[in-house]
Amino acid sequence: MEGGQEQTREENADLDEEEQDFTFSRNYFLSKEHASGKKSTATRKLSDITLVDEQKLREAVAEITPKHEKEIKSLLRRYKDSYQQWFFQLRCGFNLLFYGFGSKKLLLEDFCNTSMVDNGVIVINGYLQSINVKQVAVAIAEVFWNQIKNNRKSRSKKSKSFDSEPIEDILSFLDREHCDDDNFVCVIIHNIDGPGLRNSDSQQYLARIASCSHVCIIASVDHVNAPLLWNKKMVRKQFNWCWYHVPTFEAYKVEGIFFPLILAGGVAAQSAKTALIVLQSLTPNAQSVFKIIVEHQLAYPKEEGMPRSKLYNSCRERFLVSSQMTMNSHLTEFKDHELVKTRKHSEGQDCFYVPLNTEALEKLLLEVG
Amino acid sequence: MSVSDSEFPLKEFDASDHNLQKASLQKPELQETRPKKTKRKIDMSSKNPLVDGDSEELTDQHYEKLRLCAFNETWSKIEITIKDVLEKINISLFEDVMKWISESFKEIRSCRGEFVRELMLSYPIVTDMICKQIPTALILTKNMEFVDDLSTFQELSAHLKLNGCHVASLSSIDFTTKKGVGGCLRSLLRQLLVASSDAADIFVLASWYSEQHNCNKPIVIVIDDTEQCSGPILAEFIAMLSEWIIKIPILLVFGVATSLTSLRKLLPSDALQYLQSCQFTSESPQARMNSIIEAVLVKPSSEFIVSHKVAVFLRNYFLRHDGTITSFIQALKVACSKHFYTEPLSFLCCDLVDEDYEVLLAKKVESLPRKLLDYAFCLPSCEGKMNNGTFKDLVQGIFELKKTRRYWSMVLMCLLEVAKLNKLQLLDIFCEAANPTSFKLQSSSHLQAPTAISNTIHDMKIHGFGKNGFINRIINKTRDLQVVQLSRILKTWEGYTKEICEIQDKLKDLQTLLNATDNDTRLKQQLSNVHRSTSRFSSFSGKDMMGVNEKVALLMEGMVRDYMKPIECIPFHEIICFSLVDMLQEALIGDPRKTIQTDLLHSHTYIQCCCCKDKNTLLPSMHDTSIVFTLAQEHGDLVNLHDWYESYKSIILSSRTKARRKFNKSPASKKGKVSSALSDSSNLNEATIQARFCKAVTELQISGIIRMPSKRRPDYVQRITFGL
Repeated sequence: MEGGQEQTREENADLDEEEQDFTFSRNYFLSKEHASGKKSTATRKLSDITLVDEQKLREAVAEITPKHEKEIKSLLRRYKDSYQQWFFQLRCGFNLLFYGFGSKKLLLEDFCNTSMVDNGVIVINGYLQSINVKQVAVAIAEVFWNQIKNNRKSRSKKSKSFDSEPIEDILSFLDREHCDDDNFVCVIIHNIDGPGLRNSDSQQYLARIASCSHVCIIASVDHVNAPLLWNKKMVRKQFNWCWYHVPTFEAYKVEGIFFPLILAGGVAAQSAKTALIVLQSLTPNAQSVFKIIVEHQLAYPKEEGMPRSKLYNSCRERFLVSSQMTMNSHLTEFKDHELVKTRKHSEGQDCFYVPLNTEALEKLLLEVG
Repeated sequence: MSVSDSEFPLKEFDASDHNLQKASLQKPELQETRPKKTKRKIDMSSKNPLVDGDSEELTDQHYEKLRLCAFNETWSKIEITIKDVLEKINISLFEDVMKWISESFKEIRSCRGEFVRELMLSYPIVTDMICKQIPTALILTKNMEFVDDLSTFQELSAHLKLNGCHVASLSSIDFTTKKGVGGCLRSLLRQLLVASSDAADIFVLASWYSEQHNCNKPIVIVIDDTEQCSGPILAEFIAMLSEWIIKIPILLVFGVATSLTSLRKLLPSDALQYLQSCQFTSESPQARMNSIIEAVLVKPSSEFIVSHKVAVFLRNYFLRHDGTITSFIQALKVACSKHFYTEPLSFLCCDLVDEDYEVLLAKKVESLPRKLLDYAFCLPSCEGKMNNGTFKDLVQGIFELKKTRRYWSMVLMCLLEVAKLNKLQLLDIFCEAANPTSFKLQSSSHLQAPTAISNTIHDMKIHGFGKNGFINRIINKTRDLQVVQLSRILKTWEGYTKEICEIQDKLKDLQTLLNATDNDTRLKQQLSNVHRSTSRFSSFSGKDMMGVNEKVALLMEGMVRDYMKPIECIPFHEIICFSLVDMLQEALIGDPRKTIQTDLLHSHTYIQCCCCKDKNTLLPSMHDTSIVFTLAQEHGDLVNLHDWYESYKSIILSSRTKARRKFNKSPASKKGKVSSALSDSSNLNEATIQARFCKAVTELQISGIIRMPSKRRPDYVQRITFGL
């Protein structure tokens, strides 16, 4: 009987899993349907909102008072009870991986400050744009070298430089058996899935560093698809993760620095602004040529753009260019800065147009004028 | 990056680089918290901290150290066991490969005799196609999961080195288009030459090989994951080696996870013609898995075991999640470490297999503080059975535990012998045998109807292990066994059950009976051959055989009933048995995709504030990202930024109207509170709301839940996650 129940339970678990998969796919298609259904109603634009100036917005972002500050602090304090367990796990030979919503920067660093009192700690900020993994390996090796030197209490105070050594040698140095086997360097990697580390090479090297016997990794992930960065060899043989779910709900202050603000003038305004900056650096003649294209585009919004011959004639009429050559040099400049693009007219003629919407164009004309 | 104003003051970080910080650490004033990993034996003669009257904290640390040492000891034993098992499985393959290498090397050397002149040249020009072929061993691993075979190839390399070959292990990382053929050559030189040079040149290898002490050994290049290498680079490498085969006798060993056709697809025909291949097959992953489970979980030598629930989880994790033996072993390691962390008395079990374990255990238990002793008698398995027990009771309890465990594995080993004939999976049988509910059910039915057993011996319902359970299937199988198989099995059973005289006697009886029946059958068969009257005699012999088989099945049933008591039915089993399946699952399967979304949907459960308790409505006091994420759920795969922002704004501002309404109604005492809420919301100008919205959207973007607007659709963000 009981065995039967067991079987039913397992079958239920199977069904649950299937149900979950089904829900997932159903949600996806429902959301698709939802989107296509909505298309019939007039879509509202971002420009309908009276957007605050970017400068002001940035100031406002910096001044946001966080909600539930007290509660979040006490949540972080609750995690302190787990420090012992995390450290135990680390000493058992696992690397720790923390996930869950909220910045885990403070938590991880506090854990290291509390528990890693005897070991060197290196912090890698994966949320930054570019990280040199070789430099990371060099830094780890140097810290480890100093550590074993101090432990041996040797008299030689010469510090070794690993800069010129190939990464293979550094890795084998970190993995080699040393007389004091208990020594290790702890590496904190904030956002191991961050933009600077999101390439296969960096992850491969990090995995190899993680598998070294004298290195312990404490890392955090924030992206929902972070596990896709690793293959089975990396996960099972090298990183050897022990996962911990630690939602902190802390603001991603430093992690979000490089992300553009979504309401910062919108995409159109952003490009109009950049276009203006470029235009202002051009000669008055070039600006006028650009104005002709814009005016044409505003007058005939449904056309592909301004044909070359028409543009040339208009420019000559206003004494802006004297030859095709001068006009071409202006156009090349525009194209290089993506101010103007070309597309073919139905009769095969090249047409020039500005890749901005009408409002942005009007604003641009006003500003240039 | 201002972190100093936070709750946790950071110790100085000199940011020598923007993306790399070295933390300068202060030495602690307190005691050393880091336990010694290398310390193998726990010195129990050392002073007991509590006896000396030290603080409780120090005692905890002392016992944590002991547990960590116990984990290291236990896990290193398990690791060695696994290594031994795999070595035993692989040894015949390794020997075959070694034999092939010596033969091929001999062949190449005999070939070299014909090209003495070419050998003297710095660059050997050999036009004979046959002499340009490289002997290549293709090891078919019969396993798509190359992770499991990485260690096999490592072991192979070590075995070959030990047998006097120059060995270099390369992998797909060395054969990439980015690194080119120079990359793999450099890696090869690094491994073979002690003093490596940066120049990736085959001349360096040739001159190294021509040295007196090197030239008598073959060079073997082992590539474990051939299918994942870049085809053109590998082909180029092969072509280059074939030019030099006379001067540098190189042999290749390729690990092939799928089939030989994959190699044909990978390499062009002109590269394939340089390979003189020889096939080898390694043991199947199933056989490996069975041997590992037998050695680690079933045999009584292991000091750490898993509960039925954990066993079922491990089985499902293996079957559904990953399917690699490596991940199974890792899961077991996590379970082991969690056990030694969570169970305060776990360190007691670490010398259970030593010869003088009785003395060791008594010493350990005697030095336990009263707190831990009381804890032992409050374990769920002891509740109501033993109160205020003494040290002796605990020692006795652990002895009993050990005995039961030994008996349990003894019967299971006997069952497995038959299961091997049935090709059943060991893990399934293990899970069933470890199930305490089945056993309880079985023993209760046994007590209720003792007379019924003999009558309904074929009725499998008497077994709690389920009518279609694996154990019953195995018992049934014994009824169909041939004489030869039966005799072999009885012999192995005899080996396993040495400890129990009762079973030994029965086995001996059965063996004599079997021999007699066998002789009888043979005689009758001979007679039947002579008389050609098969029907009468064969029916006789069949009946006799059935009698023996039935008796063996009965014996098996009796053994299962009397001796196979799952560990979870015994007091103090918590000390050696890990059962926290949820903890294991969380550590193994981090599911950020689901969890991060759940975090956002149920933020109040983590933040535990009193203001956001209402689960069904969005409140302005809730975490901004949580509100924005919940609102995004109402949209399709594209979220209109305008609508999204407006709905967010309406939620944030809803407090204003509500607060005003409350303000009108509320009594004077509450005025202060409400007015502060009102001033909070009135502070919310357009810029702040937009800033909050922007920040929340950025956080969703960091979490990978949405994608920023594209140029084509500037007013929409794209949702990436759909449901949990």
